[in-house]
Amino acid sequence: MSDPETIEIIEACRRGDREAFRALYEAHKDKVYSIALYFFHGDPAAASDATQQVFLKLITNIKGFRGDSEFLTWLHRLVVNTCLDGSRKNKSRERSEDPADLARLADPASQDDNMARRQIASRVQAALSSLPPKLRMPILLRYFEELSYAEMAEALQCSAGTVASRLNQGHKLLAQKLERLRR
Amino acid sequence: MEMVKRAFLLVTVVSGAWGADFSLAIGNPVAVARPNGVVKKDIGFAVRGENCADVAAIQVAGTAEGVVDGARRSIPLRLIAGETAGTFAISHDWPQQGTWVVSLTGHCGNATASAVVPIGRSGFIRESSKFFPRAATAAEVESALKTLTGGGK
Amino acid sequence: MNQPQDKPPIGPMEPGDLPLVKAPDSIWISIETTLDAKPEPRGIGTFRWQWAAASLAVIGAVSWYAMRPSPPSWAVSTLEGSPSVDKIKVGEWLQTDASSRARITVGSIGTVDIEPNTRVRLVAASPTEHRLTLARGEISATVTAPPRLFLVDTPASTAVDLGCAYKMKTDESGDGVLRVTSGWVSLEWEGRESLVPAGADCRTRSRTGPGTPYFADAPEALQEALAAFDFRGGGPDALATVLNQARVRDTLTLWHLLSRVDPADRVGVFNRMVDLVPLPSGVSREKALQLDSATLKSWREELAWKW
Repeated sequence: MSDPETIEIIEACRRGDREAFRALYEAHKDKVYSIALYFFHGDPAAASDATQQVFLKLITNIKGFRGDSEFLTWLHRLVVNTCLDGSRKNKSRERSEDPADLARLADPASQDDNMARRQIASRVQAALSSLPPKLRMPILLRYFEELSYAEMAEALQCSAGTVASRLNQGHKLLAQKLERLRR
Repeated sequence: MEMVKRAFLLVTVVSGAWGADFSLAIGNPVAVARPNGVVKKDIGFAVRGENCADVAAIQVAGTAEGVVDGARRSIPLRLIAGETAGTFAISHDWPQQGTWVVSLTGHCGNATASAVVPIGRSGFIRESSKFFPRAATAAEVESALKTLTGGGK
Repeated sequence: MNQPQDKPPIGPMEPGDLPLVKAPDSIWISIETTLDAKPEPRGIGTFRWQWAAASLAVIGAVSWYAMRPSPPSWAVSTLEGSPSVDKIKVGEWLQTDASSRARITVGSIGTVDIEPNTRVRLVAASPTEHRLTLARGEISATVTAPPRLFLVDTPASTAVDLGCAYKMKTDESGDGVLRVTSGWVSLEWEGRESLVPAGADCRTRSRTGPGTPYFADAPEALQEALAAFDFRGGGPDALATVLNQARVRDTLTLWHLLSRVDPADRVGVFNRMVDLVPLPSGVSREKALQLDSATLKSWREELAWKW
């Protein structure tokens, strides 16, 4: 079950309390946006679009949220479905490892002035972008949210075994890519 | 010989660039950016003088010549100077009803040029517009109007 | 063996490799705009005018608008249907049904005709900004004002008046089209801008924003290829068709494409443009290919004489 404070906010959202919805949005917007941003190759327009859709779906369907699972799991499921739908509907967003695209990803919105950190981020983003969506998403979910296998399985709507398999495969490919990009 | 040469040069300067006669060109209303004093939705099209040594001295005047319910009409047009010297916005002073052509005459010093521009439902018809290195004759204007009335558009 | 409650490894990445990115403020604004476009459930302090058959409706604003002192308003007149409102205030919605049309007088600068089955909201009516939201349907705007005073937002674009008259149509997702009948309109959305002159159209699409403008009389093959290029990832084939079909006045379209094609394709667009209209003196080929903004502006101003 979700914690009592979350339950109270959700109840307020069900009553149409706009301030409660705003509070829910503020609490989770950056992680949702970040997952979408890295999923869509650093495209802020696509990430904004996906983030908007996630929260609109959330408030539209909040009356149907039964509270019998963690609220966060439900939110993650919305993020997964919205990003994967967006990826399927717009194949042009699935780009190959084009140097021009990698250059565009090289300066993420970050408060960190450390050049070395930015270079690492750019390499990791480039490597992530080369993975297919179904491997990219579990990696991002795991990276930004501390989920268990069971929680990830619920969010991705697959078995825990499939989660383990995709993460394993994705991490291997990522490691290979990162090694190549370091050269 | 020297006087003949100077006279030749003078004539050439007055008439414009080397080898090219003064002429008028027409364009989309947006070609005259933000003209002053005209309600922007009332611009029919843009006109400018070309091949004139002194663009600031270019003068253009025009009338809308038309047929409304069988009656022949002529309306003097307002031309408003554009931001660039030698460019003008033609104010859409003719009514929607009837069939119209716009007759324009421009001067660059002693040189004259003209244009007869048919007006269609979507605005000026570039493909049917005629350009002359002199003032258009009344017969040429009537001919353009008759073509428009007879052929329709 | 992994246990369900175990946390998986994060793989070759380390904490901090991917920084958390702050979501832009514009997302919440878009969410609110969309929520305000939906009928409000009872109990949140909204009110509605019950409208008779074939009449206009004004749907009252929510919470904080009701608390403010009386906001500015614009006059509303009925063009078709039975009149039930005579003004619209900032924050309020105006909605027409299938057989009603209305005219909003936009301050002292023009009018906006609201076609049937259309929903608009007055967002701002100040000396520096006159702004409407078009949630769905069609409007015709005729405005005489300094540029950028009058704006209309749709789900996938913002139409910025540059001194003009135009029609704009959209559905709720943002798919729509703008047709300019006088002057210019700048169609903008999330960093993308299309300049649309009189006689030209520009499509918009949900999630993409404005497409590339084209003259309404452009060959159909060009229009279809352009739509494929703008919205369906049409790529080189679509671009080739656009270039082949382009006439002199379609340099409007090609001018926009210069900055939208891949760098490798830019020379092809440039070459086609100068085939159709010789490069004006004072416009540098090198600077044009580098997309120098002053060069592109000069080139556009000269090309407009061919449009």
